[in-house]
Amino acid sequence: MLETLALMGSGFANALSPVNLFAMAAGTAIGIVIGCLPGLSAAMGVALLLPMTFSMEASTGLIVLGAIYCGAIFGGSISAILIHTPGTPASAATAIEGYQMTLQGRAGKALGVSCFSSFCGGLLSCISLYFFAPLLAQLAMKFGSPEYFWLSIFGLTIIAGVSSKSMIKGLMSGALGLLLSTIGMDPMEGVKRFMFGQSSLYEGINVTCALIGLFSMSQAMILAEKKIRQRARAAKFQDKIGVTGAEVKRLTPTILRSWIIGNLIGILPGAGASIACFMGYNSARQFSKHKEEFGHGSIEGVAGSEAANNAVTGGSLIPMLTLGIPGESVTAVLMGGLIIQGLQPGPELFTKYAPMTYTFFAGFVLVQFFMLGIGILGCRGFAQISRLSDAILIPSVAVLCVVGSYAIHKNFVDVVIMMIFGVLGYFFRKFDLNPAAVVLALILGPLGEKGLRRSLMLSGGNPAVLFSTPICWVLMVMCIFGVLSPVFMARMEKKTVENAGGDMPGETGDDPVRTSD
Amino acid sequence: MKKTDIGVVGFMYGVCILFLVMTLRLKKAAQTYPLFIITLLALLTTLYVYNMVKDAKRLGVTSGLEEVFGETLPGQFVPVMAMIVGYLLAMYYIGFYPSTLIFMVACLWFLKVPKWQVVVSTLAIVCLVYAAFAMFLGVKLPVGLLFK
Repeated sequence: MLETLALMGSGFANALSPVNLFAMAAGTAIGIVIGCLPGLSAAMGVALLLPMTFSMEASTGLIVLGAIYCGAIFGGSISAILIHTPGTPASAATAIEGYQMTLQGRAGKALGVSCFSSFCGGLLSCISLYFFAPLLAQLAMKFGSPEYFWLSIFGLTIIAGVSSKSMIKGLMSGALGLLLSTIGMDPMEGVKRFMFGQSSLYEGINVTCALIGLFSMSQAMILAEKKIRQRARAAKFQDKIGVTGAEVKRLTPTILRSWIIGNLIGILPGAGASIACFMGYNSARQFSKHKEEFGHGSIEGVAGSEAANNAVTGGSLIPMLTLGIPGESVTAVLMGGLIIQGLQPGPELFTKYAPMTYTFFAGFVLVQFFMLGIGILGCRGFAQISRLSDAILIPSVAVLCVVGSYAIHKNFVDVVIMMIFGVLGYFFRKFDLNPAAVVLALILGPLGEKGLRRSLMLSGGNPAVLFSTPICWVLMVMCIFGVLSPVFMARMEKKTVENAGGDMPGETGDDPVRTSD
Repeated sequence: MKKTDIGVVGFMYGVCILFLVMTLRLKKAAQTYPLFIITLLALLTTLYVYNMVKDAKRLGVTSGLEEVFGETLPGQFVPVMAMIVGYLLAMYYIGFYPSTLIFMVACLWFLKVPKWQVVVSTLAIVCLVYAAFAMFLGVKLPVGLLFK
């Protein structure tokens, strides 16, 4: 206990260094800009800026990525409130009440409530990150090769969960990703596999190149194929952004409920901020003493949605950091960032690398304060950025993808691999296959392969070793849950969206309402 | 069932065949795991084919092209993609900065961005890349074959 407190204290001391503070401010601002641009998603932003963290210390790099993640989730609410266009799907429910407030000349108040609720949701989610992550990591210390095999299988069953339309297509995408993860040197036999004569594929496909291609380049292609439309002019607002004491008192129960909802959804693999925002909004309406305000600009509606989607951030990091199971696209990209720094998610992060991990946790707490400050001071400016045309985004994103993938090993092969994955990601999105599943499989494939082959080697080829411990059986049950949970999640999402009276959000911040000037 | 899904299924079977051929060239001990994954992908694809056939009997067959490419503007998409490919080739021969300048200006001009925004956006991207990658990360961006 004392040791944990000491780690927490030293984490804060490290996180407060000038470099880390600058990283938090810059990452949060970049994240808010990405979030408020309706064409860009949080996962895409994190993937695009991943190469920038290569030369940083591991904790600083992770703080930057975490800040972009939090900033993007909040940033989506700015365009949702001001131009009725959610910057990310996570803010779809915010648009319902937020835009009504804008029409009534209360845009400043809506932004203030959104900022305050996002701050509270994010900050409270750090509590579970601090307390649950080490507990889960202790459990993971008991894992051997068979358990790691089942753990990777469990991670792969989540693929079905992150699949948007068809579970089988999600699993097909995952299987294709597994096949692609076999490219490179065989870990047990030392044989070159499927390298197409390219020595740069010796260590397999570079996950960062794949991430940039699948999430960022493919998004530039999606934007390039559609008609370039002008976004609505952001509403100018004169009212105060601040939140009064009476409003804080009124919003507190809503924020607390949304925190619990968001946190649980974040920890659950396969669910994400886009579900949490509708569930938070729905519970705010259900328990409100001012139900008549809903649909006409309720501050509780904005708070319920925003506190819930930001509470997802801390929760979603728990399975990723402790078990190496990223439950959704953004955490898969964050895990890529962790691997790039030479760190493997799991118990080692809480033993050998504990100072780094606790610095990241402390940074994650401080990021919430930066989000509050930058959000309140800069929301008028961010409102104008949210109108940036897709015509400017297309070549800009393409250039950043190319230079980002080149920077990894300073060779053109990585750029070509990024482009191949970009085209793959484009067609995957067009045909309802799942790019996130490919990424998860690329990350978890080698882990599962090593776990399986090592277990069989140690047992002399006897597959019974895979069922030899109670943890193996627990993980097997979780795999079954992983396969069945999407059906349950889809029903729950449909029901909450119907109850909220909203539309299902698009995958990458597709905007439901775009109007001309 | 959508006819476009036939393309998806064809692609998946194609990948299976390609990897199967390459796997059979590996030594015996190294074949097991890839064969397992190939079988898994083939089985899932076959399961999807079964669902497609079931849907075709129940709901009929639609083209699916309108749904998938209905919003696509070939007159815009194809030239932008050609410019991206041209940009990569140009970077290889004339280096990063000249090719980026040409690509940004050409692409923004083609997408009918106002002139002042073309200038500002191009300069902003070049300066951002220089500051972030060349100065901060110390990445030597390609100078191109012609200037080596």
